Amino acid sequence: MSVDLRALKLDPSAPAFFRWRQVGDNVVITNFEGNFLILSEDEFRAFAEGRVEPASDLHRRLDEGNFLRATYDVDRAAERYARRKSFLNAGVNLGILVVTLRCNETCIYCHASRANMDAVHTDMTPEIAEKGVDLLLQTTSEFLTIEFQGGEPLVNFPVVKRVIEYAKAQNEKIGKRLEFTMVSNLALMDEEKLAYLMANKVQICTSIDGPEKLHNAQRKLPTMDAHQQAVRWIHRINQEYEAAGLDPTLYHVEALLTTTRDTLPLWKEVVDTYVRLGCRALFLRPIDPFGFAERTRQRVEYPRAEYLAYYRRSVDYMIELNRQGVEILERFAAIFLTKILRGEDPNFLDVRSPAGTGIGQMAINYDGTIFTCDEGRMLHEMGDDTFFLGHVDTHRYRQLVGHETVRAAVVASNLDGQPDCVNCAYSPYCGTIPATNHKTSGSIFGRMRESDVCAVHKGIQDYLFQKLATADAETRQILERWTTQRPREHFVQGPGEGPGES
Amino acid sequence: MPAREPPMTETPPNVTVEASQGAVHLEVDPSIYPLEAIYGAAYVFIDRCYVFLYRPREGAIRITLSTKAAEPGEAALAALVGEFSNELLSCAWRRQITEENRTLIEAVTSQALAGAMGPPSLDDLADFDFSDEGFEDPLGIAQSWEEKHGRKAPRGGEGGEGQSEGGTP
Repeated sequence: MSVDLRALKLDPSAPAFFRWRQVGDNVVITNFEGNFLILSEDEFRAFAEGRVEPASDLHRRLDEGNFLRATYDVDRAAERYARRKSFLNAGVNLGILVVTLRCNETCIYCHASRANMDAVHTDMTPEIAEKGVDLLLQTTSEFLTIEFQGGEPLVNFPVVKRVIEYAKAQNEKIGKRLEFTMVSNLALMDEEKLAYLMANKVQICTSIDGPEKLHNAQRKLPTMDAHQQAVRWIHRINQEYEAAGLDPTLYHVEALLTTTRDTLPLWKEVVDTYVRLGCRALFLRPIDPFGFAERTRQRVEYPRAEYLAYYRRSVDYMIELNRQGVEILERFAAIFLTKILRGEDPNFLDVRSPAGTGIGQMAINYDGTIFTCDEGRMLHEMGDDTFFLGHVDTHRYRQLVGHETVRAAVVASNLDGQPDCVNCAYSPYCGTIPATNHKTSGSIFGRMRESDVCAVHKGIQDYLFQKLATADAETRQILERWTTQRPREHFVQGPGEGPGES
Repeated sequence: MPAREPPMTETPPNVTVEASQGAVHLEVDPSIYPLEAIYGAAYVFIDRCYVFLYRPREGAIRITLSTKAAEPGEAALAALVGEFSNELLSCAWRRQITEENRTLIEAVTSQALAGAMGPPSLDDLADFDFSDEGFEDPLGIAQSWEEKHGRKAPRGGEGGEGQSEGGTP
């Protein structure tokens, strides 16, 4: 069954503004401020045709959700909308520093366009690093994460150290809440580096592409043991967190997955691998069209319908594991559910409207060039400078954030101006990425009906609303638990922390 | 680019494909697609095509996409037309939506940029270029009376008010 709009006798005077989407046997309705209701088809017909009995339970639910024109509460809508968009005042809270393009691993999909280990000219100098820190500390945001990326950041560890020490020293005067994160394949980790990172409260993230065989086939070290190396260090780092008295359910190495065609049939093995490693979160990220993934697309790409089947299987399995007492969540689901169930935005920069491009994040390349976001920097490595903003030598923070490219990206990623999104029930929870749109459709606006990102976002939200519609109390509780964000305060450093001693 | 999309199964009547020339011609009605939308859609293709716009007669705009690829097949040219048509529709609709939601889009954009930029620092202000002409003033509204009409000649001799080098009160 599906709702046939032509058969409805719509009464525009009864419902307040709403969007709708058929999900299975139900209809999801959402309104401007992002409230939602899951209705049966009969309930939806009664709502759209203005036939809801005032004394009915449906009327009460519609009224509570602010879906009725007669009782529409503008103040409540404004308050909900402002809460949902609170990130608008936040400013840049993620500064990516590409400390080198050199990498010891070769990944078949490398989005970053890594360089060989002898390409020392792609190392960031300490001078550029300090200027980058000065720039990022000018953000209006009270909170700033400096994320070390590459290449492999451990290749240029002296500059990582310089950044940490310089940023902490400068922050003594500025007083921001500062966090350092490193994204590393861990193969070049050693005890000395680990001691330094622990002493300076650097959060360590890595990549795990699933089971050993798949990981080693996609992420190649000369020794062909990338998985073993990463796993060894994950356990070692987690040991250190425990030794420091930190709660292991909150403090552990986070790992990121890149889903390739070969990952799809291994959904169960992927989830099991993450659980075995002690991870509490798995981000089922599809492959992006950047870097080497463009060249290897014949081997690594797949139709998004196949991805969504893989997603549903994986998350069903994760829910089942949760029922058995294993705590593991899917990151996309957590992001969307937080918006859907809590009316808050977790400020994930790629899934918000407008996107965080230039106003929530900034990427500083090894040579001091600055881009709106990491994807913009990836495009630069592919010869496309659309998202180039300036250089640490010549540009100040306000010039970069107010740059015409940032302004264009903010407008382009506002879903209230986007065809398809303006009519989509998931608009209050969704987001689009200008750099990905530019890469796939030639325009920063993109065309949502042809967009892989849109297909993934819609498919995931279809799945989540189906789950919410049919969930028993325990499943509902699991999904609600996934929206709980426990801050990792240990990693957040204010003034007065001083340099960490290893 | 969505090269995986299947080609169109038949050529619409407003489309002419010249495979030998590596070009495709498309005629659209500007009462359906506003000129701004045609510009917007055409611009998206300039990395892959040379794009020509021409008005063959009143009520029609002809768009020629001449591909930069060496030997494009007929299917690739047809796909180009399909993609152009989708982009054109997207641009036309976006233009309409932007008009309808202008207030909301402007409010969100202003808040997002202002929130991220913050107030100017002293360094920003120090670098501000005050030497530019602020605005055009053809009627001389911002000029002083003296600049506009000249200074009155002092009565009874040289030296105007405030320029006297001596004298008695």
